[in-house]
Amino acid sequence: MTTRSALVLGARRELGTVGLVAAMCGFYAGVLLVASETLRVNSESVGDVSAIGLVLGVVASVFIAVAVYVSAVVIVNGVDTVIAGRLKQIALLRLLGADARSLRGAVVRGTTGVAAAGGTAGVLAGVLTGDVTRAALVAADRLPDGGYALLPVLALPAAAVVTLAAAGAAWVGSRAVLRATPAQALSGASVPAPDSPRAGRLRRWLTVALIGSGALVLAGAAVLGESGNAIGFLAAALGAMLSGTGLLVGARLVVPRLVSLVSRLLGTDPPSKVAARNAVRDPGRTTRSTMGLVIGVTLVTTFAAGFAALRVAAASWDQTAAQAAQTDDILRHTSTIMICLVVVSSAIAAVGFVSTMSLGVIQRTREIGLLRALGFTSGQVRTMITKESVALSATAVGFGMGLGLAYGALGAQSLVGFQNDGFVWGLPGPVLAGIAVAGVLLVLAASWVPSSRAVAVTPVEALRSST
Amino acid sequence: MDSLLSFSSVSKVYGDGGPGAVRALDDVTVAVPRGGFTAVMGPSGSGKSTFMNVAAGLDDVTAGEVHVAGHPLHRLDDRARTLLRREQVGFVFQSFNLVPTLDVRENVLLPFELAGRRLRTDEHAWVEHLLEVLGLGDRVAHRPGELSGGQQQRVAIARALAPRPAVVLADEPTGNLDTRSSREVLGLLRTAAREYGQTIVMVSHDPVAASYADRVLVLADGRLVGDHDAMTPQQIAELLIGFEVGAA
Ligand SMILES: Nc1ncnc2c1ncn2[C@@H]1O[C@H](COP(=O)(O)OP(=O)(O)OP(=O)(O)O)[C@@H](O)[C@H]1O
Ligand SMILES: [Mg+2]
Repeated sequence: MTTRSALVLGARRELGTVGLVAAMCGFYAGVLLVASETLRVNSESVGDVSAIGLVLGVVASVFIAVAVYVSAVVIVNGVDTVIAGRLKQIALLRLLGADARSLRGAVVRGTTGVAAAGGTAGVLAGVLTGDVTRAALVAADRLPDGGYALLPVLALPAAAVVTLAAAGAAWVGSRAVLRATPAQALSGASVPAPDSPRAGRLRRWLTVALIGSGALVLAGAAVLGESGNAIGFLAAALGAMLSGTGLLVGARLVVPRLVSLVSRLLGTDPPSKVAARNAVRDPGRTTRSTMGLVIGVTLVTTFAAGFAALRVAAASWDQTAAQAAQTDDILRHTSTIMICLVVVSSAIAAVGFVSTMSLGVIQRTREIGLLRALGFTSGQVRTMITKESVALSATAVGFGMGLGLAYGALGAQSLVGFQNDGFVWGLPGPVLAGIAVAGVLLVLAASWVPSSRAVAVTPVEALRSST
Repeated sequence: MDSLLSFSSVSKVYGDGGPGAVRALDDVTVAVPRGGFTAVMGPSGSGKSTFMNVAAGLDDVTAGEVHVAGHPLHRLDDRARTLLRREQVGFVFQSFNLVPTLDVRENVLLPFELAGRRLRTDEHAWVEHLLEVLGLGDRVAHRPGELSGGQQQRVAIARALAPRPAVVLADEPTGNLDTRSSREVLGLLRTAAREYGQTIVMVSHDPVAASYADRVLVLADGRLVGDHDAMTPQQIAELLIGFEVGAA
């Protein structure tokens, strides 16, 4: 079985991203669980037993769930990309008599194994880091010495969840194995199969329904906020969840078009033109590698914009200067903590983005050799790869920022709208600037290494390569 | 007559010169004049593709000098060679010729775009003529993945001829074609050479194809072992059999 999976997936190295992403996600879960365990024990020792433990558990679970979701999206893409590069080999195996289902099973088992190892190691490392930090804080008298559990109850379940999510993601990502017909081994290009018309219609319908209802609920939340109704914030959360899910479902319909619009702004010379085509070469993959980043950027921007709006609003409240300073301080710190909590999901998405870009370039070695043989200079090859990466990440960052600003402002409005005149909103300048800088770094990371590798060989060597 | 492409004592060795090294070209000296249609023949593995790659500056030589359109290829760096290739050379590879994300017309027009210039009216007519003669008129909006192997090869031929480069290097351009389209392609190449003075070097295994050329070079084990004027298919077939018997 292992050999089967190696036949389909090639070197384990190609699954390195899966292991890394599972480990990051596990580490995050481990740290969060220790933190919430610590807070729970402390709140109990203060005597405030009530529902705090439960609430903390729920909050931690929500953040972990988001990270797991983003990891799953990244893993789907990772597996899909690896398989896309091996379609010919898979088709050849099919031609020689291998059965598609068992090949796919081998892919899922191989991926799940890597994710289980990465996820478990990550959770344990996270818990250990948390425990050590806590022990240091206790030793420094910054924390009371309560009876903390060294291994939070949910730690191992968290590792299991990461593994299960990876298994599901591998299953989704390996769909292409079933589409590899033996005939493809003999012919050439693999063209991704479009949605069936039926699935397409369902997708469209669901998207419109979810986004429409979400937008209505969000508008309602803003109005409720104006009247000071406590339901407002819950409504805003529900609206954001509905419309966010709608965007995820419908992303496939919109994102490739957005990317191709953005890439058209990059120029019309041959490198830009080929880059634009490559960016949307496989709409499914384009969508997933963009949406991972969109989720990350949206989360960060939502919290940043929400708290920025709250601070703007609070500044106009009727309080003494000292009170105002204190409120602002609390808001600022909470904002920082929340952003740190969600930024991890962005990091996971970024790792996935870099890996998909690099693999995609490696798989196109031969094509790049051809372009150079036809007269693309090394510089033009680099430009082409960089522009592809710019088109994808600029779309993701722009989309995510816009969405986050809207969600953040609506959340704040629904919470404190009644205390202020008009709509509450704020622009988190430093965070937006930070995201923009991170976006530029991401583009460089995603394009520098693969493009250097692409131009390091002579065109003839590249043309002769089998990938 | 000035030579457009010249090799003097060119050798190309793959590997590090140890026991596993392969001498793909061995002390080859030859000059191809402007406007000539030259066929390169020889058994499989005799160095024909290597000859073409070196002539296009796609690969470095181990020893010797290569001149293309007056430029010393062996002394140019990668960038200068790329620019030279872009402006002076049209290439048809043995396989995998087209950019998969560009459609037929875009592939054919790529050399113009790389040179950064718009088509003049006569060039536009020439491109349309090529597409028509090569039977691609109704496929211009298709991507390479949607074409047969022979159609892809014809697109590559159109692309190589379209910008009227100083030299067209074609590695088995008729390898995937049936007899009829093969004759059409060869006729087109011969017309381009005779009427427009297009210099063409073509690798082929097929004596009939080589008979369209006005000169036949023969390689064996990396050496130039034959250099003949235009011949009939029968003469070429006999010549090749002679070499195979000699080599055996
Ligand atoms: N990258 C390489 N490394 C080692 N040897 C090589 C390499 N490329 C070509 N060769 C060897 O050089 C010799 C000439 O190869 P070339 O491709 O030029 O042959 P050819 O005449 O075009 O053959 P065919 O008619 O089969 O296309 C062969 O023996 C081949 O094995
Ligand atoms: Mg060859």
